[in-house]
Amino acid sequence: MKNTGLILIGIALVSSSCRKVEFEEVERTYGDADFSRYISVGNSLTQGYQDGGVYKEGQEDSYPAIIARQMQIVDPNMDDFEQPEVYGNGSGYMHLEYINGEIEVISPGDLTNEPTEEDASWANWGASMKSIKYNNLGISGITLMQCVAINDDELEINNAILGGFSITIPFVIDTTIPGNPFARFMDFGGNPNFLLGGGTPIQYVDHIEQSNATFFTSWLGDNDVLGYATSGGIPVEIDGTLLGLGVIQYGNLSDPIVFRQKYDSVLTAFSSIGAEGVCATIPDVTVIPYFNTFTVGGIKEDYGYADVWIEEGDGNGGVTQVRIASDADLILLTAKDDIEAGAGSSETNPLSNGRVLDQGEVNACRSRTIELNNAIKSSAAMFNYPVVDMYGFLDKIKPGIMMEGIGISPEYIGGGAFSLDGVHLNPRGYAIAANEFIKVINEAYGSNIPLASIGSYRGVVFP
Amino acid sequence: MKKILIALFVAGSTSALAGGFQLNVQSARGMGMGGAYSGYCIGTESVFFNPGGMTNLKGHNFTIGGSLIMPLVSLQTPMTDNINQTSPMATPIHFYYGGQILDNLFVGLGINNQFGSSSSFENDWEGRFIVQNISLKTFTFQPTVAYKIHDYISVGAGFVLTTGSFAYEKAVPVGSASTDYGKAKLTGSGISYGFNAGIFSTIIDNDKMKLTFGASYRSGQALNLEDGLAEFTDIPPSLVGTFPTSTSFTGKLNLPSVISTGISYQYKFNENNSLTVLYDFNYTGWSTYDTLAFDFDNTDTPDSKTTKAWANSPTHRFGIEYALNEMFFFRAGGYYDITPIQDGFVSPELPDQTQFVPTFGFGMQIGDHFAFDLAWFHQDTERESDLTDAGFTAKYHRIADGITFSTTIKF
Repeated sequence: MKNTGLILIGIALVSSSCRKVEFEEVERTYGDADFSRYISVGNSLTQGYQDGGVYKEGQEDSYPAIIARQMQIVDPNMDDFEQPEVYGNGSGYMHLEYINGEIEVISPGDLTNEPTEEDASWANWGASMKSIKYNNLGISGITLMQCVAINDDELEINNAILGGFSITIPFVIDTTIPGNPFARFMDFGGNPNFLLGGGTPIQYVDHIEQSNATFFTSWLGDNDVLGYATSGGIPVEIDGTLLGLGVIQYGNLSDPIVFRQKYDSVLTAFSSIGAEGVCATIPDVTVIPYFNTFTVGGIKEDYGYADVWIEEGDGNGGVTQVRIASDADLILLTAKDDIEAGAGSSETNPLSNGRVLDQGEVNACRSRTIELNNAIKSSAAMFNYPVVDMYGFLDKIKPGIMMEGIGISPEYIGGGAFSLDGVHLNPRGYAIAANEFIKVINEAYGSNIPLASIGSYRGVVFP
Repeated sequence: MKKILIALFVAGSTSALAGGFQLNVQSARGMGMGGAYSGYCIGTESVFFNPGGMTNLKGHNFTIGGSLIMPLVSLQTPMTDNINQTSPMATPIHFYYGGQILDNLFVGLGINNQFGSSSSFENDWEGRFIVQNISLKTFTFQPTVAYKIHDYISVGAGFVLTTGSFAYEKAVPVGSASTDYGKAKLTGSGISYGFNAGIFSTIIDNDKMKLTFGASYRSGQALNLEDGLAEFTDIPPSLVGTFPTSTSFTGKLNLPSVISTGISYQYKFNENNSLTVLYDFNYTGWSTYDTLAFDFDNTDTPDSKTTKAWANSPTHRFGIEYALNEMFFFRAGGYYDITPIQDGFVSPELPDQTQFVPTFGFGMQIGDHFAFDLAWFHQDTERESDLTDAGFTAKYHRIADGITFSTTIKF
């Protein structure tokens, strides 16, 4: 039996010597692309906005930051990807608490619980950042319409919306248009309005031209539908009387022809500096949890309503009629408190226009999304930039899919990829989006950027 | 302040036990010849391979043996160049007794590990939401009788009892401020029953040659995990109702049936010097292994159901044995195993692939009462496939070496 042991050990040694099972390290290449200076343009999704705000931890995992992290594996010498950093809680954000056996969403400003309020630094955030050339140019709330003006009026309006201005003449005028708080890291120059001295404006598209980008991702255009949708089909208004422009209405569904023109301008800006890049389409916003958490059927069941009554909008802030809602009408996530107070239970107490994206508005959003996506695709084709089909992708995850053994769906909180605001993604969702960009970049430019592991990015933080 | 109802979407990622968890190391003698044994049946392992062949035994024979199976599995995913499984070595054993109690009546007993698999991965590996650790261990007991109808034909049958224990750990995709993800651990055990029956025929047996034929059928078995225990740890407090510290579960694991037919032809140079060639055809009924479901007693815990969609799979086995003299036997062979796992269903714990597996063996007969056998096999396969239900894609490279040895005592 001693010999047996020796024979066994001998065989084991012989066989272990030809037992190399490991895969070789993959040789990484950036292919035909030049990632040395990667610039991302877009809106809140690009800025890393989630849970109703931009905060440090969320911003660190914006999808452009994730793309850059992965890009660095194929091009270790690329420039560091700089984002206009927010501190701590940033603009404040929602989180979950477990209270009396229920999971509850706590928003900033909540008086009874412990909200994650805005950081003390937020009030002056951005003031000292305007001269820095960041890589992530995402601005929450920006529409493509605001990126470049097609006439002087628009130039003034965009400048006011993004940069804001204030005028104070003692005892005569004291007016402030605050501008977009998430755009404060960017210098928009002066407002060109002659009444105020005619400053020199800097447009978003000018920043693109001056970005020195060698590579870009563009996910602009979402807010050209989303702003209208999340307000229940009511445009946002700001008082521009002072500019001689009357009441400025924005957040309408953007016009496809103008949209195309402006998308061309953005891509012209990138192509004029020789940048390569990819463009992403607009997802069907009506799929997101914001519009699908409270359904007409669900409200009837959970609150005992015989019918759900809603105001039907005219798409311009007005109400055409009060009627019984059908499943084709989408109730906004923000309607929760109203519903709990009884709104929608009767004809005399309907859910207000701003809490409902009614069927007509839903259809308007969907068909406009398709038109705008066609504009994005044809514009990108003209400049030879490949397109990331985010519209198709969201459609694919709509029924729920598994990724790395993790269930992902557009369900609110339980679906795993959307943040608590029901509109934006959480880090795991942004990693999924980043991977969609990476796949298209690799295919179009012959690079082999490894995908991000979505499991290593957090989903919803449960209490 | 909003109250929210949550239905977590965590369904269906349990792809518990993957391919080829049927262990092919039930005998050192058989293994050396590619496992082509159901038509040969010269030793105690006939209890397992073909109970009808037990009638070739003389006296009382006891075989005890074991194996060392050393698997190495590496993966490459779209995220990571190389991931190594950290699976342990497997050490299945076998014991057989076969003896003649009347002129035509033979009895036997087999105890072996017919099915088993154990795979583990480093903590935090990217497929942890599919599997972290998994193991199945079975012990099969088979009391058997065989009857020699006349010199040319025998039949045999055994009652099969299998005990199985199962353990499965994976990550649960729910995190909190202090934990990245939760963990689930499922353990269970059960007993299943079946039978093993065979027929064996010696067609020709003279001074020059011997031609034999055998066929057997091992039935499928349903291993019910009646009182499994599911334990969840690192679960955020708000979700403990969904993933409680512990709950019981039931599950069922179908062990496949195997049909075998085999033939052997021996050419005798002289009394103790011969060359035998063997061929076996197996057909394994893996299609019974269509779904693997766990039903949790805790109503809020999402039940888990995995579609395996495995195909019945044929295996061709070949072997030769050269008897140098009455003492030394040299064996070689191999088997061509068509994987039951279709593309889209390959799971990281046991990435099976259609393969040819070479085997070698050596036997030593020391006097009339003692024999020693040794065999070795080598598997080396690569495969690239999705596990579609889990949204997981990988390239796999698997190498496994197995050494099987046994000693037989006869009196």
